[in-house]
Amino acid sequence: MEFPATLFPSSFSTGPPRDEGGPAPAAGWGEYGQVLEAGRGHHQAETRFVPRHGRTGESWEPADVAAVPFLPPNATCWLPLLAPQDILYRSFLHRKLQASISGPAVDFTKQLSHFFVDHPEDAFGSLGCLLHKNFHLGDSGVKREARDNTIRMTALMEEINRLDARRGCPQKYLASRLRWFSHLSRDWLFEVPIGLLADCVHEELLLQWAGLLFDDGPTGGALAWLPAEDTGARTGRLVYPGGQAMNHLYFQDVVLKELPSARGSPAEFELNGRIRQVAAARTNGEDFVGVRSDYHCGIWRVPGRTGAAPTPLQVIRTSMPASCLTVSPHIPGELAVCTQSGSTYLWNIEKGLQRLRHDSQTMFFRDHSPWRWCDFTAHPRVLSCADRTGLQCLDARAPERCQLDLFKVGEEASCQQGERVVLPMYLGRAHPSQHLVTTQFSMYVVDERLPLVPVLKWLHMMKAPPLFAHLTPGDPGRSHKLLLGASRTQEMMLLQYQGGGQLACRLVGPPQKLHTITGCLEHFPTQLPHRHCLLQQRLGIPAAGLAAVLQKHGPRESLLVFQLSEAGDIFCQRLTHEVAQPLARTSGDKPTAAPGSSPLFEDPASSPQHLGSEEEKEEEEEDEQTSYLSNLEVMINEEEDGGRPAFLEEAELTQEPCASPQPSPVVLSEAVALRYRRWLKALSKRCGEPPWPSCPTTCGQKRLFTREELQTQAGPSILHQQARQRMHQAMREGGRIQCWDLLDSQSSAILKPPEPVEGPDSLSARLTAAWSGDWSQWWEERTSFYRTQRQRALRERRRRQKRARGRRSLSASFTSSLTYQSELSELSDTGLPPLSPTPPQEGFPPRGSPPPSPVPDEALLSSQSLRIRGIPKERRKTLRDYLGVWTESPLEPPELPSSQVSQLCIPSSQSQLSSASQTRRKRPRMGF
Amino acid sequence: MAELEEGKEGAAVTKSTMEAAGSIPLPPLRLPCQPVSSHEHKLNFGKSKEMCLNFIQDAMLQKQWNRAAEFLTFYAEALEKDFSRDYMGPSEIIWRIGTEILCHHSHSGMKEFNSFIEQMKTFGVKRYLKVCLEHSFHLLCNGLVDEAYQNLSLAESWRFGEHTAIRDKEIKLIQAYKGLLDYYSWSKQKNILLEHDEDEFEDLSVEQEMHSYFRKAAVNLKEIIKIPGVWDIFVKCYVDLLEFYGDDEEARQVLSEYAYNSKFPANPNAHVYFYQFLKRHGESKKSLISALKILHDLVPSHELMIDFNTMLQKSKKRKNRRLGLQVIFAVLDYAGWKENVKAWSCLARQVKQIVISDKHPDWIEQEWDSRKDWWPAFHFSHYLAKKNWQENKSLSYEKALVAGIILGKDCKYFRYVSHQGCKAQAKKFRILKKFVNKHIPVHLRISGLSDSSVQP
Repeated sequence: MEFPATLFPSSFSTGPPRDEGGPAPAAGWGEYGQVLEAGRGHHQAETRFVPRHGRTGESWEPADVAAVPFLPPNATCWLPLLAPQDILYRSFLHRKLQASISGPAVDFTKQLSHFFVDHPEDAFGSLGCLLHKNFHLGDSGVKREARDNTIRMTALMEEINRLDARRGCPQKYLASRLRWFSHLSRDWLFEVPIGLLADCVHEELLLQWAGLLFDDGPTGGALAWLPAEDTGARTGRLVYPGGQAMNHLYFQDVVLKELPSARGSPAEFELNGRIRQVAAARTNGEDFVGVRSDYHCGIWRVPGRTGAAPTPLQVIRTSMPASCLTVSPHIPGELAVCTQSGSTYLWNIEKGLQRLRHDSQTMFFRDHSPWRWCDFTAHPRVLSCADRTGLQCLDARAPERCQLDLFKVGEEASCQQGERVVLPMYLGRAHPSQHLVTTQFSMYVVDERLPLVPVLKWLHMMKAPPLFAHLTPGDPGRSHKLLLGASRTQEMMLLQYQGGGQLACRLVGPPQKLHTITGCLEHFPTQLPHRHCLLQQRLGIPAAGLAAVLQKHGPRESLLVFQLSEAGDIFCQRLTHEVAQPLARTSGDKPTAAPGSSPLFEDPASSPQHLGSEEEKEEEEEDEQTSYLSNLEVMINEEEDGGRPAFLEEAELTQEPCASPQPSPVVLSEAVALRYRRWLKALSKRCGEPPWPSCPTTCGQKRLFTREELQTQAGPSILHQQARQRMHQAMREGGRIQCWDLLDSQSSAILKPPEPVEGPDSLSARLTAAWSGDWSQWWEERTSFYRTQRQRALRERRRRQKRARGRRSLSASFTSSLTYQSELSELSDTGLPPLSPTPPQEGFPPRGSPPPSPVPDEALLSSQSLRIRGIPKERRKTLRDYLGVWTESPLEPPELPSSQVSQLCIPSSQSQLSSASQTRRKRPRMGF
Repeated sequence: MAELEEGKEGAAVTKSTMEAAGSIPLPPLRLPCQPVSSHEHKLNFGKSKEMCLNFIQDAMLQKQWNRAAEFLTFYAEALEKDFSRDYMGPSEIIWRIGTEILCHHSHSGMKEFNSFIEQMKTFGVKRYLKVCLEHSFHLLCNGLVDEAYQNLSLAESWRFGEHTAIRDKEIKLIQAYKGLLDYYSWSKQKNILLEHDEDEFEDLSVEQEMHSYFRKAAVNLKEIIKIPGVWDIFVKCYVDLLEFYGDDEEARQVLSEYAYNSKFPANPNAHVYFYQFLKRHGESKKSLISALKILHDLVPSHELMIDFNTMLQKSKKRKNRRLGLQVIFAVLDYAGWKENVKAWSCLARQVKQIVISDKHPDWIEQEWDSRKDWWPAFHFSHYLAKKNWQENKSLSYEKALVAGIILGKDCKYFRYVSHQGCKAQAKKFRILKKFVNKHIPVHLRISGLSDSSVQP
């Protein structure tokens, strides 16, 4: 272990970090840092100098224009990620709160109100049961004998409902009745005391917010590559989490080719929690894989030879979440574990756990973060322990006595103010005594033999702190490749450095950015708008780990980089060393995987020029909605000659602003394009439609056509089949369809617009109109036609009802008038407002907001529907009564002494109620 | 005016790169954001500035230097409104990015680079010294030592702006590098003189020049090494100067200050230099050992520890030999020494010596005590036996000797290696086997004692 004979000059001072601006945007560029004389013999005529931050390094060029899916998409649940607007105040209240307090204004009242509306039994159950006899909801007066014990709540309910209508109005005042009730009931109405509940919700939301800002859970990454024992073999094993909750651990054999492919099915283990980190190290020819979830850590042994099954060895449970798990590269079956309580353990599968340190305080200065990390060093008994303030080495044989400060956030390493350690890593494979320390601003290489003074420092300029790192050691004389990866932004950066032995450590070559998973989006086949959004969301999920493999075959070298997302998708990309011959593009190659090797490559015999949308269409016949939409999509695209559909532009705009206009000649090789298509197909197949309202399964009132219309039309007719066959054939041959005349006379219907008179159904009429380009005109015609027709029908019905009303009771007449109202709204929903003929795209419900389908009150009142809603029999009458009093004037509020009307209690309850129904239109039932 | 020049500069770069890039057809450059109206543009100035910077960074990180250069010409507009009180204003950003681009750009020469940097110096007053220093680094790395020297001299005489701690440091550093270059000139002159010395050639002017270089270098170098820091190269040069002029006392003081001043970081090189100085001047074994002992305490894995061990083994003092065993055991604790034949042979030799002389087997015991639970897995596993045998027979011999003595003949490592050795008909290994068989009692004692030591 040689130590560099001369180190780069640097000054050294102690103390807290300088007060210096903060993250600077371009701070990593343009500096040599320091220079050092290169050769030893300075008595030669020419003195050569080498800089600390060198400009020339090996050049690694990406082989493809984007990352490529490696495995089929993970069948994860489609929970949209938490967004700041989900938990922060967005209303005027937000501005008010912001003015008064610093820090995030967490909207816990919204969450509370959701809870009250969604789980009234849990929120108010017992008192609801107790009091429901004493609360009268009917419209009739309370009987004299019951008046002692019963009060009428009808007016109150009305007030509550009226709040909905006033929502968003900053000037809204509160009805004194509500104020009174909330003041009266806030102490006893809730199952859990409201203050306590609010405290807990607030606390939880703050935690969520902190996690949104920076989540250190996945530190270290949950992806590991286990190389084959025989270095020449182009195989290896990838260890990654998957499954719906990311709680399955997979060991997948991988064959490395131009594009890596999976071989056989992976070994799978189901674990007891979400996998946060997968760490691996090879000792004595065997791989040891440590897996960390929040409260469990486990270790697997994987024999080096290919095909050998991994065996689970031991599991430990922690009472506090574990924050770190590293595997010893020196001694088989030894790991280091840290928990958020500040404890560090050395874990040997034979000897058990040994606690090295327990300190809830941070090491060098006070920091609130409970995150701890530890890793191994050049000495197998010495571990480096880290928290946000720095690194310390301690000897496991005498952990209290033998300590050494290795890295300190402070002036020693010329840190900036606010800089914190994000990820330490032992770089033993490059040089036995080197460690990597990343902070949110910089990366440092630290040598154990020269503590406190980093031998290399570079400001990495990444937008999110690097949580993952991977080292690919270089041969002697070559550079070590260091990959840094961020979670939230998916950034990956490739750095090269040299030295540590004879020569001082220095960076070589400029940093390089690798493709991200998000960047693949534009290479997928064009999607329907909502699918595009889904895909965008899916690809934009934060990264959860990275791994890399260096492949050498002859003069060619390539670095294969895998990136895992939190959804469990794995993408890979290949970088090739430029000195080597450029890799032959795989264009024209068929995917060469062994049959059945990977689900992505199943049945490669099918025509490679298969259209993705075509396949989907055939596969999803059961979902008419989608296939119908996909038909429509084709039309949209053809209609809009002027530019790309608006949704695409929009999607682009919402992308990261840093995605600069690419000069890249976007050429995907055939195999890569096929992978994208297969991945997409598998995604829609495996994950199905997400169960959120963006894609309602029922036909709402805002649909252009009814379900029946679709059913009759969507099925492929003989004509369609013929056309499709011809299309397929033409595509296979790479030719084009010159004329459709060869088809039978019917086929002319496809090209020539049929006579409008003959168009028997609206769909074909509409398609025809769309084909000829005057769709909007057709639209207007149709809506006006329908409107007049329906108005006529309605008028007819009203007349009939009027006649019938004479014989009915008042309440029945009320019901019918309700029907009338609902029909009116139905009409205005179905037909478009006469003033604005809506452009075709807007005919769809906007994503994320389902069409508010008016609930017909008849349906609400029918005893069946009441039963379905879980309303007990004895209350159904009450409810019907209650709904029946709508037209009556509300009761006079009971007189209250003014002292009882407290102003203080209002805002919280009011905002609960008002924001309760922001998205849900359920009536708060409040347990009675 | 400055930004105009910058614009021109950028534009010039762009033009040349566009011509150069003729071979690779690139799609026309799309402006990142189309200004909707001038008013809006003004409002969004900060935003678009940031966006532009993002594009530049993006292009640079993908090594699209031409593209980055084009964007940089747009970014020069940012100088218009450089009222920012940011830690890093646009001028510094342009300096950094521009330098980086010019370094990688296929069509930039030293001339373009120099003119760019000169402009940068004029409007980066706050960062003048830093820019100068980096400029000289660039010149030095390109072999233009004289230009770098001029540059440093200019920077040294710069007297504007407020005095800050950073600036003082930068000035010191500039002076130190200037001193370093003076030193190189001095040593060049010295070599000329030494060469011609043989021809009885004497040139007073050369000698005088050399002395003047010495004076200049010594003054500057002396200054910088007073500040705490890692100044390996400056210290080495300064000591070389002093030694040449026979000022050994000063040299020794400088070196011991550099090594033992607690304000300085614990730099192993400082101790190495001191040790080498002592060795050069024929100091006593005792002082050498004490120098190395301190280095051993700091960096037990240092390569000098092998020398240290040899030195101690030869020593007549028991204490020193004991220390030698400790040193070599400590060296082999480290992963970096795991497969070092020299270190293993040192240990094997000493262990063998102890066993043969049958004096102080307790030394081995005590050293082994803290390692018995992990050395077998770390050094003497079956896998390593196989691997070492395949890769390096002499290493496996040395290791097998140690394993055989300490762990007995049933140790996996020893068994495998001796078996393979006997199969390969190597005489060495047969002797090894006999030796170990003969000294089983040592192993028994070590293990027996260690067992009893566990009990209480």
